[in-house]
Amino acid sequence: MRIWSLVAVLALALGLASATPGKAQTVDEIISRGSINIGVLVDLPPYGILDAQQEPDGYDIEVAKLLGKYLGVKVNLVQLTSPNRIPFLVTNKVDLIVATLGVTPERAKQVLFSIPYSAIENVIFGPKDKAIKSISDLKGLRVGVPRGTVQDVILTSTLGNDVKMARFDDDPSTYQALLTGQVDAIAETGLTGDEFYAKNPGPGIERKFILLQQPNGITMRKDQWNLHQWVNTFVYFVKNNGELNTIHEKWFHKPLPNLPTF
Amino acid sequence: MRSFNAGDLLYLLLAARWTVLLSLIAFAGGGLVGLIIALMRVAQARAARWFAIGFIRVFQGTPLLLQLFLVFFGGDLIGVPLGAWLSVILGLSLNAGAFLGEIWRGSIQAVPNGQIEAARALGLHYGHRMLRVVAPQALRTAIPPTVGFLVNLIKSTSLAAIIGFVELTRAGQQLNNATFRPFLIFGLVASVYFVMCWPLTIAASRLERRLALAYQR
Repeated sequence: MRIWSLVAVLALALGLASATPGKAQTVDEIISRGSINIGVLVDLPPYGILDAQQEPDGYDIEVAKLLGKYLGVKVNLVQLTSPNRIPFLVTNKVDLIVATLGVTPERAKQVLFSIPYSAIENVIFGPKDKAIKSISDLKGLRVGVPRGTVQDVILTSTLGNDVKMARFDDDPSTYQALLTGQVDAIAETGLTGDEFYAKNPGPGIERKFILLQQPNGITMRKDQWNLHQWVNTFVYFVKNNGELNTIHEKWFHKPLPNLPTF
Repeated sequence: MRSFNAGDLLYLLLAARWTVLLSLIAFAGGGLVGLIIALMRVAQARAARWFAIGFIRVFQGTPLLLQLFLVFFGGDLIGVPLGAWLSVILGLSLNAGAFLGEIWRGSIQAVPNGQIEAARALGLHYGHRMLRVVAPQALRTAIPPTVGFLVNLIKSTSLAAIIGFVELTRAGQQLNNATFRPFLIFGLVASVYFVMCWPLTIAASRLERRLALAYQR
């Protein structure tokens, strides 16, 4: 769908155009307002989902609430989607976003990243009877990805025309496509894939190899230096005191991976 | 990954309220804009006609998704934050207005010219000519394409998700991402849309039959 790439281009233009806003927001302002608007995703399990009461829940949501607790303000969660999260941020509709946004130099032209607070493990899944051990084994195959994700970009740039990409709207469609045999392999979040294929065994699908570990940052506008410094301190602190690890154990059933800082 | 529960069903139905509300806004706003555009399109004044043609070209020629995006986020860029409600009212009304305007222009022009000339010969003013002579006849030809467009418009309201509205389609996506039951959830979403659109189609064909009767001799 070309329209989504158009939206992406517009979002980028928006980020560059709004480079000179009025006044930078400070920590003191947020504290004196008594509340912080945090943008989150609710359609990326287990980072953000709707729980059984249809309330936002997940790793990102717990991190956002913890951030609010340390800042001593009320947290208003704003539900965003993958294509509109950066536009919402740069047009001041939220104060910051905790939305599994991978730290890349491209995005850093528009926004300000904190040091990583989570990592997403991207895995190639495929049927047991297909020998796929490395990225070059994907040549000539039909590979499913959720559109516009990091795995989409990596596979497209490294394999180019050697791979037939099938881009889906969201994660469930991508998992489903492998189950129904519409694609030969998919690149998806490791943990969710494990759970999904354990629940829906189908033709015998397994992990092939880990494509990448992508560290994610809490994201702010380019001029929020004051807030940025506080958020970095917050991430550093909860990494050291084990609170971030507890949240990670709860949602991923394993300890927090090594998160490099910058 | 959790299972689908009764609360989820309720969540979908509650989200459908937004779809209904957005559709009503689009109907009302689009109808108003469409009427103005249709009248400008058939007006004597050249400037009015050209404005209407330009308006229609722009709004028919660009995707609704991008129109909503530009209105909502673009307002902030030029320092006039519109907010979600005003943006969605503007975006949907302008888009629907362009399509309805063109549909109604066709219906107005389908009324034989002799009718207008006769009305003029009788000394009827513009208002009376349009209201009493042209509109009743144009209405008959306008109903099928108008309803066809409105049914489509109900489904297009799902695009408002880009500016933060959690309407029926978006709610379905959210639940699917939590439960991974696409066939169940999107089946339900499709049924709710059907329940909204079907009565409209039926009402339209009834109205069409009634109006056709009035013109039988």
